[in-house]
Amino acid sequence: MSNDAPMLEDELAAVSARLRREALSVFGRSLHIRTVDTGSCAVCESEIRLLAAPHYDLHRLGFFFTPAPRHADLLMVTGPAVRAADNLLLKAYAATPDPKAVIAVGACALGGVYPEDDLIHGAVDRVVPVDIFVPGCPPSPLALLQGLLVAVGRLGERVSALSLDLDDGRLR
Amino acid sequence: MTHAIAGLVIAAAAAWLAAATTALAARREAGLRGSAACALVGGACAAVAGALLAIHGSGTTLRLGGGPVGAATFRIAPLAAPFILLIGLVAAANALYGPRYHETGAGTCAYLLVYHLALVASLAVLVAGDVVAFLVAWESMALLCYLVILRHHQRTGVARAGFLFIALSEIGFLLIVLAFAILATQTGSLDLATIAARSHRVSGAWRSAAYLTALAGFGFKAGLVPFHIWLPAAHPVAPADGSAFLSGLVIKLGVYGIALFGFTLLPGGPAWWGLVTMGLGAASAVLGILYALMERDLKRFLAYSSIENIGIIVTALGAGMAFTAYGQRAIGTFLLIVALYHSVNHGVYKTLLFLEAGVIEHAAGTRNLDQLGGLIRRLPRTAVICLIGTVAIAALPPLNGFVSEWMLFQGLFQGFRIPSHVAGILIVVAGALIALTGGLAINAFARAYGIPFLGMPRSRTAARASEHRQPVAGPALLAGACVFLGIGAPLVLTALDRVARATTGLDIRAELLVPQLTVIPAHTDFAGFSPTYLAAFLIAVTAVPILIYLAGRPRGTSRRPPVWDGGILNFKARMQYTATTHANPVRVTFEPLYRPHIDLERASDDPAGRSGPVHYRFQVTPIFERYLYRPVIWVVRRAADLARPIQSGDVNLYLLYVFIVVLIAYAVYE
Amino acid sequence: MASWFYRGLRRGIVTTRYPKQLDEWATTLPSPPAFHSERLTVELVDQLVASCDSGALSRDERQLRVDLGRCTGCGRCLQAAGGAAKASGEPLLASLTRQALIKIVPIRGRSQTP
Repeated sequence: MSNDAPMLEDELAAVSARLRREALSVFGRSLHIRTVDTGSCAVCESEIRLLAAPHYDLHRLGFFFTPAPRHADLLMVTGPAVRAADNLLLKAYAATPDPKAVIAVGACALGGVYPEDDLIHGAVDRVVPVDIFVPGCPPSPLALLQGLLVAVGRLGERVSALSLDLDDGRLR
Repeated sequence: MTHAIAGLVIAAAAAWLAAATTALAARREAGLRGSAACALVGGACAAVAGALLAIHGSGTTLRLGGGPVGAATFRIAPLAAPFILLIGLVAAANALYGPRYHETGAGTCAYLLVYHLALVASLAVLVAGDVVAFLVAWESMALLCYLVILRHHQRTGVARAGFLFIALSEIGFLLIVLAFAILATQTGSLDLATIAARSHRVSGAWRSAAYLTALAGFGFKAGLVPFHIWLPAAHPVAPADGSAFLSGLVIKLGVYGIALFGFTLLPGGPAWWGLVTMGLGAASAVLGILYALMERDLKRFLAYSSIENIGIIVTALGAGMAFTAYGQRAIGTFLLIVALYHSVNHGVYKTLLFLEAGVIEHAAGTRNLDQLGGLIRRLPRTAVICLIGTVAIAALPPLNGFVSEWMLFQGLFQGFRIPSHVAGILIVVAGALIALTGGLAINAFARAYGIPFLGMPRSRTAARASEHRQPVAGPALLAGACVFLGIGAPLVLTALDRVARATTGLDIRAELLVPQLTVIPAHTDFAGFSPTYLAAFLIAVTAVPILIYLAGRPRGTSRRPPVWDGGILNFKARMQYTATTHANPVRVTFEPLYRPHIDLERASDDPAGRSGPVHYRFQVTPIFERYLYRPVIWVVRRAADLARPIQSGDVNLYLLYVFIVVLIAYAVYE
Repeated sequence: MASWFYRGLRRGIVTTRYPKQLDEWATTLPSPPAFHSERLTVELVDQLVASCDSGALSRDERQLRVDLGRCTGCGRCLQAAGGAAKASGEPLLASLTRQALIKIVPIRGRSQTP
């Protein structure tokens, strides 16, 4: 069987995701983040705001918040992707120059809490491609920091190795 | 050489007379073009004459006529050289502009006739050699300009504007006649050169009276505050080339008159003349630009900006006179050079801007800044030329406005060299006021360029603007002149130095231009810069990033997302800044000056404004008209009312007057 | 202005040393549940699935599917499970794929048959 068949959608998505991550690792020393709120309850925003406070201090790791998507490398999206915010999210995504990545933050953005209906999409990855997922309700600033460091490749992710089976020998 | 110059001046006048007569055939396209061609030839002659006169540095005298009509003396003096150059450039630019701007027809015929005659009259003012010739030329120029303003007399506001123009022009003319009368009687001659030679015969009080009357009289024409109220009314209503002629040249004739009196006819006046002149100039500059910022009509805005620049020129003249009176003759001559240089500069770029305002008005259908927008895409060539003019008038390097304002500041900042502390402080305060106007001017012109040209069109007519068949050559010529006058400043200043030497007798070439094309303000250890090298440096500095970009930009296709607007669902052109909002910080800061009258009408008391539109009306109070002119007019009217019974129309009463006068004459002459 | 200076001298550095070292209290943050698979029965799992308001828990034959992405850490399933579940204490759950957030716990317990 020849191997020059065109790539399938999933393979293509995986390759482009990997390329985005590699590109983003170039920004490991200095990354600009733009937050987009697609209808969240603003508790995730409170945790995000704490990142700039002295205890967590994301600036020491080289991350910065920017108000303009034109200057951003990473879009941090919260909220269950309310349909009324489609315009906002898609415009912000289009306005962010490549290479860029999207980090979806919070249980709402990952599909939890609110199911899909005619007012909300339910999950951010139904609107824009998401590269890093950070669960939590809200994710603590430590979880957000870990998400950012995983995004730029400075930390490996740990959740793949996590097992929720306490009676299994592989429990950490 | 002097014969050549005289010949060129006569040729210019002849060409413009030819243009005036050809204009009578302007009902057809050929007549329009023929008239323009004659005017262009005349403009070229005048420009060359002015340049040669400046470079040559000495003038000549002609006598014309004789016999029963009387002779008229024409004197081509170096002081008039920059203005003759300017009239040439303005006439040439207007000639290139005219055929595509005017429609053929009887109105255009009449207009071009009076316009070209006005050019001849202005030239005559500049070369008049005796008092009568000067006054005749001056008054003809004023009347012809009045007719120029009345081109579209049937439109609203034009008649009133023309009336204001002619009324204040006449008051100024009376004062000029008075000033010349004082000089003529005191020196016993009507010839200007003789008056200049015998000016020491005019004694103290008469000297000051003559100078102050002349300052006021010429101030009416120049547009000095508080004599300026005709300018913002009259300049906008004339056609674009007429406004350009008025703002570019005619107000400079007022400046020429003040310079004539201050430096030639009454040289060596006391310092307080200079300080008063400088004070009026500084006040005009600040008030001019402050009122300009409140204007939404592009041409009214440019008219107020002319007042501001006249203020700058007159400040330079006044400070020059003050420095000379305190013995700092080098700086005094330097400031005279600055005044002449800025006159030419302003003439060039203001003409350019008025011509482009005419193009915008014809292309976009409106002069209202709040309805324009996005013209940089619809009118690209106009946008580039207008940008050059705007950068020049905002005094940004490396163009001509920057050089002349830099020189003005360097001259004013040397006020510490004056022994009198009060005068020194006043000069530096004037410098501070001019600096304030400089900052406000940048704000004003960022607004005047950015609102019409950038952003999105704010009205349908602006969105449909087209550059098809719009004049380009005339404004382009002036843009080239701006660039040359800026980068070639060392050349221009060499010529102006000769002019100043002929006028004040002092040659400051060594303290003005040093090797390496550098300009210094009359003192070697104070300041200096080279306009030419600065321009080269700026080009190099901007070229480097451009070259890096061109070499290193990505080869692939680039993505063009829509403009980031914050995620608004529907961005409308009405959401943009308007000219009114752009000037809001200045409006709020200077509210005690504007004393605005504000009307606010809401459809309902709903604080969110949901129930209907809100009407907001902001009106600047015209303080000069209200507090200066109206009381004077009221006094005159009251006096006229009181005197009315004399003109009762009763023949018997008139016979009584005759009888009384005969009795008095008999008593007096016996 | 000087108060922060003295406060800083007194308190020392308050910034966390993460990623070099994780704070000790990190494991006490709200975290997803971990289950004793030996104690899970199908009926219990159905109760747990009903108790989850966020849709994080679902049952597929004899497998409990835990979607970490949807878990809000509310603890309703811990209450309903009694001793069969406790908090996992794992607060750092960032993932590069959505699939990696879905964990399977086998149901090994036997139902009590009457």
